[in-house]
Amino acid sequence: MNDFSELENQLRKLRPVQPSPDLVMRIEGALAEPESPILTAGMLARERRFHFNWLSLGVGLAAATALVMLVFLRLQQPAKKNAVVAGRTPAPAISTNPNAEFVPAALTQVVYHTRDEGLRFPGNSNQPMRRVRSQTRETLQWRNPKTGASLRISYPSEEVSLVPATGQ
Amino acid sequence: MENVATDENWKTSFSQLAPGLVLFARQWARSAADAEDIVQEAFVRFWRKQHDIRNRGLLYATVRSIALDFLRRDSRRARREMAAVSDVDQAIPPAFEIDDDSQRALVAAIELLPSEQREVLTLKIWNELTFAEIASALGISQNTAASRYRYALAALKKNLPSA
Repeated sequence: MNDFSELENQLRKLRPVQPSPDLVMRIEGALAEPESPILTAGMLARERRFHFNWLSLGVGLAAATALVMLVFLRLQQPAKKNAVVAGRTPAPAISTNPNAEFVPAALTQVVYHTRDEGLRFPGNSNQPMRRVRSQTRETLQWRNPKTGASLRISYPSEEVSLVPATGQ
Repeated sequence: MENVATDENWKTSFSQLAPGLVLFARQWARSAADAEDIVQEAFVRFWRKQHDIRNRGLLYATVRSIALDFLRRDSRRARREMAAVSDVDQAIPPAFEIDDDSQRALVAAIELLPSEQREVLTLKIWNELTFAEIASALGISQNTAASRYRYALAALKKNLPSA
C-alpha cells in the first residue's frame, strides 16, 4: 500500500464540488413535510414489503390446508355424524335452517402427470410390481338444492400405486 | 469526520457529508442537479427512519439504491442511462474543483476507471469510509472492496506517468 501513498495524497487534494446552497433548505423543507407514501417506497420499505409477502403466502397456504382438511373430515364422516346428532337431538338445528344444507354434487379427478418409477419387489415378494406416481387435481363440489348455491374446492394431490408387472 | 458521527443536528452532519454524498451520487446521475435530488431523497428517508448517523454504510447504501431507482424511474431515460452505466467511459465523471493540469489529468484518469472501482475509490478517498463500511454500502465483502480499491489505485498509477 505504501506504493500508493503519494497517489492517495494527490487524490485527497482533489476537492469535490460543493453542492448548491439551497440543498440544505430543500432537505429542511422535505423534513418539515408529512411523510408521503412515495418516500416510503425505497430500499428499507421494500425490504419490509418482502417479508410481508412471505408472511401472507404462509398464512394463505396454512388457511387453504386447514380448509381442505376440514372438508375431508366432513366428507368422510357424514353418516356417522348425522346418526349421532339425530339420536341426541330430536329437533336438530339443521332443520331450523334448511338453507344451510349442502350436499355433495360432484367429484372430479384430473390426472395431469404420471411417472413410471420402475420395478419394485415390495415386502421381499417374488412378484415384481411397477411403481407409478400420479399427480392429480381433485375438485369437490357441493350444492344446496334449496338455494342453488354451490361450493367448490380444488386441490392438487399425489398418489403412488403399485401395479403388478405383467410378463412379456 | 468523527464529530459527524455523534452530532445530533442533521444540518451539521449533512454539511460535512454533502460534498462526498453528491460526488457519490453523481456516478449515476446525468447532472449535478439530479445528484442533489438523489442525495436529498436519500438523506430525508435515512433521517426520517431515525437511523444512527454513524451507520454510514446504510446511508450510502440508501443513496445508491435511490440512484439506481432514479435511473429506472423513467423508462425512456432509463434506456439511455442504463446504456451509459454499462459503458463506463461515458459515465458521468466525479465533479471536482480543479486547480491545475496535474489535477485535470488525475480527474481524467479517474473517469477511465471501471464504475465498480470508481465507486469504491469515491467512498474511500472523498467520503472516508472504512472498507467495512464500503462493503456494507455496496453489498460486497471487505476483501472485494479492498481489492477494487487497490486495482483502482494501480490503474490510476498506470495512467499517470508522474504519479
